[in-house]
Amino acid sequence: MLYQRLFAASLLLACLCLGFIAWGYQAPFSYEPVGPRAYPLMLLILLALGALVLLVKPAMESSESDEPALTRPMLIKAAICLGLLLALAALFERLGFIPTSILFALGMARLFGGRWLPSAVLALVLGVGLYFLFDRVLEVPLPLGVLSALEI
Amino acid sequence: MDTLSYLGQGFDVALSPNNLVTALAGTTIGTIVGLLPGLGPINGVALLIPVAFALGLPPETALILLASVYLGCEYGGRISSILLNIPGEASAVMTTLDGHPLAKQGKGGIALSISAWSSFIGGLIATIGVTIFAPLLAKWAVSFGPAEYFMLMVFAIVCLAGMAGDKPIKTAVAVLIGLMLACVGIDANSGVYRFTFGSLGLADGIQFVVLVLGLFSVSEILMLLERTHQGQVAVKASGRMLFNLKEGAFVLATNLRSGVLGFIFGVLPGAGATLASAVSYMSEKRLAGHKGRFGDGDLRGLAAPETANSASACGSMIPMLTLGIPGSGTTAVMLGALTLYNITPGPLLFQHQPDIVWGLIASLFVANIILIVMNIPMIKVFTRILSVPNWTLVPAIAIITSIGVYAVHATTFDLFLMIAIGLFGYLLRKLDFPLSALLLGFILGHMMESNLRRALSISNGDLGILFSSPITIGLWVLVAAMVALPFWRRYRTKRSAALASA
Repeated sequence: MLYQRLFAASLLLACLCLGFIAWGYQAPFSYEPVGPRAYPLMLLILLALGALVLLVKPAMESSESDEPALTRPMLIKAAICLGLLLALAALFERLGFIPTSILFALGMARLFGGRWLPSAVLALVLGVGLYFLFDRVLEVPLPLGVLSALEI
Repeated sequence: MDTLSYLGQGFDVALSPNNLVTALAGTTIGTIVGLLPGLGPINGVALLIPVAFALGLPPETALILLASVYLGCEYGGRISSILLNIPGEASAVMTTLDGHPLAKQGKGGIALSISAWSSFIGGLIATIGVTIFAPLLAKWAVSFGPAEYFMLMVFAIVCLAGMAGDKPIKTAVAVLIGLMLACVGIDANSGVYRFTFGSLGLADGIQFVVLVLGLFSVSEILMLLERTHQGQVAVKASGRMLFNLKEGAFVLATNLRSGVLGFIFGVLPGAGATLASAVSYMSEKRLAGHKGRFGDGDLRGLAAPETANSASACGSMIPMLTLGIPGSGTTAVMLGALTLYNITPGPLLFQHQPDIVWGLIASLFVANIILIVMNIPMIKVFTRILSVPNWTLVPAIAIITSIGVYAVHATTFDLFLMIAIGLFGYLLRKLDFPLSALLLGFILGHMMESNLRRALSISNGDLGILFSSPITIGLWVLVAAMVALPFWRRYRTKRSAALASA
């Protein structure tokens, strides 16, 4: 219930901020009766009303959720998972697809409870295999990064 | 007769060797994707869009691929519901009620083949429905102007919230968030940058592949972290693999009724497969009365939701093709794919590109037949896939998702955006907001705004145009009824609770 209220409050706040930003949207010249401002403002007003209802009466809309509550070890795990994803995004072009995805897959497999050796094998297979599958067979270009010297 | 000749043309397209192979590949991929935890039809379809694009598939082939993946996913989801008692998605929940008890009684093979057969009949009924009704609706929809379209979209959204049952406000909020996200980027009419915060990556808006994969794949990966149970033990599908004639005849009436029901629910915007399977299960249960053994393994209890499920999956193609308004999360993704190909679905699609429309409709027939032929002998292989542990699956899903997102623009900005959206989606799921509503809002966003502004340009800013034609007034009435529905429902449960306690 507290989280629901917290979310509704931040949604309301976001609506207000975005509303202020949207207020400044004016077309320098216009052929139309409706500019770029009216529609987002209308949405924001509706959204703010919805958030307000959820803030005042959160009980009306929340049933017992079957999602398990967040515990401390869960939060740590989720944080590690997010960290790995961010690392994947950050290194994707810099290191190149193959090394990045090998490291990422190793981390993820360990996080989800795989043992070291099978995880390492899986990571290698995924990194190299997916590169060839997508870059060579399916023609989705992927960055080679540090391995670009090896390209024939 | 026109329809029949067009349909023949469609079969020419669908049965060309290339498209046949595509349909075969699509149904296989779809079945596997539907089986795996953490992947549903929405991610399955979204992941294949960049691939279809990169392979340079012509639009009708790409559409056939996506449609067959969609149908395959609906098929695959059923295997994990019956053997594991784990519904892969919301629409499969009803399947577990009677499917899993049957598997525990050692009738797993019969249950799987009955459900495959039911899906086939459902798909067939709905595809016939699509063939008959889609051209009629398209002909009628040609006369729609921007004001009518805008009202239709308002109706679709209100429908979604009104039908959502216990949380209409959360659904509405989710749709509105989706509509807001669609506003990000350069405004097509005036060239003003909206909500980009000076970022170049956001200038042409949030790519819908990024949004879909963030919302559904990344958040699902975070969800899977919590479900620690690994290597689930599947009930062995043993004994007779095929149902016999008597069992087939026993469920035939159920099949036919649920197929029609599912089709109708599929056509209605926002109702979709979840509602269709639930309603058909309940009505069959009521029809069977005390003689039925619903809940401990009645074949009809399995046949009803399965038929309705796949009938609504096919039926939801109607609003997508004729009006350009998706009825479910998955058709929303397909609509997004079409716009990537610069094809605007709508009534004119039937006139300008009949190959695409009728090729798709014919390929629905073909995919349904492939699925039933493939599924019955392949069930053993598919059940083995169920025992793949999460630690191998999740890294693969995550990397393929990243490839899919990277392939759109080849920028890492999109990867970061996907992670941010994924985190947001995870929070929304934790708080019980329906993500498919958000997706529908996002897809409808552009169309809704441009139609509203076009309508108001026509009337020179007079809001009266939204009430000016009989169609818009009719839609207003429907919107009002849909808004009133949750209130009425709440009032009724309150009153019956009061009566029960008195």
